[in-house]
Amino acid sequence: MSRGSVFNTTLLAALISTSTLETSLAEEAAPTIPAFAEETKTSGISSVYKGEWQYMVGGGAAVFDCNGDEYPDVLLAGGENKAAFYRNESKRGGELKFAAEQSGLELDKVTGGYPLDVDGDGITDVVLLRVGENIIMRGKGECKFERANAAWGFDGGDGWSAAFAATWEKGAEWPTFAVGNYINREEEYSPWGSCTDNWLHRQLSNTDKKFAPPLTLKPSFCPLSMLFTDWNRSGTPSLRVSNDREYYEGGQEQMWHVEPGQTPALYTDKEGWKRLRIWGMGIASTDVNGDGFPDYFLTSMADSKMQVLKDAKAEKLSPDYADIAWPTGVTAQRPYTGGEVKPSTGWHAQFEDVNNDGLADLFVAKGNVSAMPDFAQRDPNNLLIQGPAGKFTESGDKAGVASFAQSRGAALADFNLDGLMDLVVVNRNESAQIWRNVSTNAGKFVNVKLAEPGANRDAIGAWIEVRTGDKTQLREITVGGGHAGGQLVWRHFGLGPEGKAEVRVLWPDGEQGDWQSVDAGGYYVLERGKSPFATEIK
Amino acid sequence: MVSFSRYFLRLFFLVSLLSVFTFKSVLAAAPTAKDPADDLHSWYVHVLELVRHTATYTPPVASRAFAYLGVTAWEATASGDDHLKSLAGQLNGLTELPKREPGKVYDETVVMNAALEDAVKNFFWNTGPTGQRAYAAVSKRLDGEATAGKAADVIERSKAYGQSIADHILGWSKDDGGAVIENMGFPLEYTLTKGPAHWVPTSPIRQQQMPMLPGWGKNRTFAMPDGAACPLPAPPEYSEDKDSAFYKQADEVYQTTKKLTDEQKTIARFWSDDPMLTPTPAGHWVSIILQIMERDRLSVDKSAEVLARTGIAVADAFIGCWQVKFQYDLVRPITYIKRVIDPKWEAMLITPPFPEYPSGHSSESGAAAQVLTSAFGDSFSFDDATHEREGLKPRHFASFWAAAEEAGISRLYGGIHFRAAIEQGLEQGRCVGKHAIALEMRK
Repeated sequence: MSRGSVFNTTLLAALISTSTLETSLAEEAAPTIPAFAEETKTSGISSVYKGEWQYMVGGGAAVFDCNGDEYPDVLLAGGENKAAFYRNESKRGGELKFAAEQSGLELDKVTGGYPLDVDGDGITDVVLLRVGENIIMRGKGECKFERANAAWGFDGGDGWSAAFAATWEKGAEWPTFAVGNYINREEEYSPWGSCTDNWLHRQLSNTDKKFAPPLTLKPSFCPLSMLFTDWNRSGTPSLRVSNDREYYEGGQEQMWHVEPGQTPALYTDKEGWKRLRIWGMGIASTDVNGDGFPDYFLTSMADSKMQVLKDAKAEKLSPDYADIAWPTGVTAQRPYTGGEVKPSTGWHAQFEDVNNDGLADLFVAKGNVSAMPDFAQRDPNNLLIQGPAGKFTESGDKAGVASFAQSRGAALADFNLDGLMDLVVVNRNESAQIWRNVSTNAGKFVNVKLAEPGANRDAIGAWIEVRTGDKTQLREITVGGGHAGGQLVWRHFGLGPEGKAEVRVLWPDGEQGDWQSVDAGGYYVLERGKSPFATEIK
Repeated sequence: MVSFSRYFLRLFFLVSLLSVFTFKSVLAAAPTAKDPADDLHSWYVHVLELVRHTATYTPPVASRAFAYLGVTAWEATASGDDHLKSLAGQLNGLTELPKREPGKVYDETVVMNAALEDAVKNFFWNTGPTGQRAYAAVSKRLDGEATAGKAADVIERSKAYGQSIADHILGWSKDDGGAVIENMGFPLEYTLTKGPAHWVPTSPIRQQQMPMLPGWGKNRTFAMPDGAACPLPAPPEYSEDKDSAFYKQADEVYQTTKKLTDEQKTIARFWSDDPMLTPTPAGHWVSIILQIMERDRLSVDKSAEVLARTGIAVADAFIGCWQVKFQYDLVRPITYIKRVIDPKWEAMLITPPFPEYPSGHSSESGAAAQVLTSAFGDSFSFDDATHEREGLKPRHFASFWAAAEEAGISRLYGGIHFRAAIEQGLEQGRCVGKHAIALEMRK
């Protein structure tokens, strides 16, 4: 019996219990706690996401390799400060070292950034979200970027942008962007209910590698995270939007059908979509319960949500989700250390396997909005380690990442390419922080990345499966989610004690590759129809 | 006459501020002279926003603020009108308020504005950064309008007096039992009453594993003697026997909610009045008053009287209701129906995190209807556009009691209350409202 089916049986019992909502997941052995060492002071990173009201949200981290050395470089939003770009100068397995460098990305009013290869030239570009005009920065190579709005017909608008997602619609030679816009920043007396329009930027035409004027995604409810995700494995991603209930009127969480050539349409209650109203701030996704479908962790104020399909075996899937945050131990509703009992405020969230045991763990950046006295002021970031029965254990303090700064965006990435996921966190009005994963008890790993010819070079929308024994890990390749920042880096899979694994790719067009063997500790480029190519890391 | 530019400034401000009113109605309501009723109205519109956006403002807490704000506005008004009577000595614990200096000139708009500016700051000190920013903008605008063209000594004296009223009310409020709200009203420890008849948590939200504000029924009341002054009979005895009254009332909820009509769904949503998404049930009634104020251009003394009496009534209703809720500690429909009738049943509305009997919305709606019927009459019809911006169309009511009864039955449609809680809640509200009506406010 797979872990997924055990989990669902116990979950069902938990959900239908009406006498108490005590957790019902089986007790399990304590998970392996990773160890992190903060190296902010010696890393060369010194960046502050600065600003007051218009920068109370945002503060994203974008992580990508822009000089071809395979080491992830970093862009940190600066708000009223200029965004800061850092070239990664770390050595393999060594301390984290970065050098601030003029890349062209150093603009002001930046709330976040998402890396992707827009024009399919093999060089990563970066979309900058801003309070004001959003800007696509075309990668020129060697970590130099230039503005491309005019060349690519991109209307950056003049909003308060805080959410982004991208996909390549079927048959498109150009990406489709979703941009989430927040409050009308000119509205002084009653900003509540002033959510501004979200935008969908599509290709101008099949032959024009440019963006058309954006469509508005109405109604718009002040999103702080968006994600194109193929929730039902139909082959066509939908757009999940997590909205901040503080500012909308009549709003809720949303999911849009985005079918090629058609006007986007909201999923409705008749289709099974259930009204959920949270302070949506970040989306993280992975297949937590092993049912073969992506699950969604949504950050909020107080309780976060962990959504899994209520019936993943239905003949026709319905987007009807159960919240299993409590039974799995990821509500993260209030500080677990530091002495405060007031509710937490969650922002960026990301699933990664930080101890390489083959199970996705969860990081959540935390921090008070500004000075909200009814919420924790000293609000530690969470590092929730998943155990074999699907229950997560808080380990932020034990692992050494329980920062009390006002955190916003973040990224888990293997900055020194030692097979362990490191961590960078953007803080509001305080310096960003970076930690090196120095675990000595972690399992083995394999890192992979996808490469395709044509427009969608990084195979956004593909699925990677990694199999060890009877256990299969599943990852959807997306651009979006988190809070105001994304990663375009090696995809990391923990393998536990296994020295080998099998890997298979379901490409964005639906073609399924073969299972192929890879060795633990390897960095493999996966191309369609080819054997995994092991990259030598220097 | 106001100047052309000031007229448009005001028009712009009102359009920005008065979320529930149409541009047309604002235009019709544009004042021809500075009237303290306009400041009263504007501050209350702002307060409805702050109630929605301040995390501690659950329905009982919101009702408390409406009572204190109403008394503040009343005392600011009554102190300048020889025909009106202070509530000092009539409300529990309210001592004599500061007096105006004899023979000195006061500007009533400046007094009202200063009193409410101070009171709103005091009662919403904990609102978030957007609330603070909006408060600062509203204060600046209203203060500028209230003081424009007036003598400096009159402004200074009037402001100081208004603030002294607010400060006196704030001092009075501090020992009523409801001034400090920890953990958004949820105790960190609480022992549930054992037995199937009693409340258990109904939400997967961690904070809500304890009942909200279990001690609220012990708070000092305003006009009625104490929280037990309007007692209720026990609810139907708990039973799982299909022939029992308890089972039958649960089955009524179950059967009704399985085949809700569109109209019933609309009613459930219209009166849902969820905290942190709306101005709460008490704010809904305040919103109704504000719409009537604007429609009928009520005078400042009538407006302040109605807002004060209603605020007092809904605050006392929540105290009385909470007293009974924790006296009987009754199980919610969602728990009983899943346990006894249908494990897969789901209510349309989210069940609030506290015991079932009586219905809080029914108690406070009954109290509000009692007061408003006394103020405006039995057959006073009105349209209620409180939730128009959330996509819910205005509803027409032939009387305040028609609205209160609809608010009550909405809880059955929403699947969160049994009929007894609704009917007895309305009765309790009727009793509570009589205490507010008995206050002598005119000489």
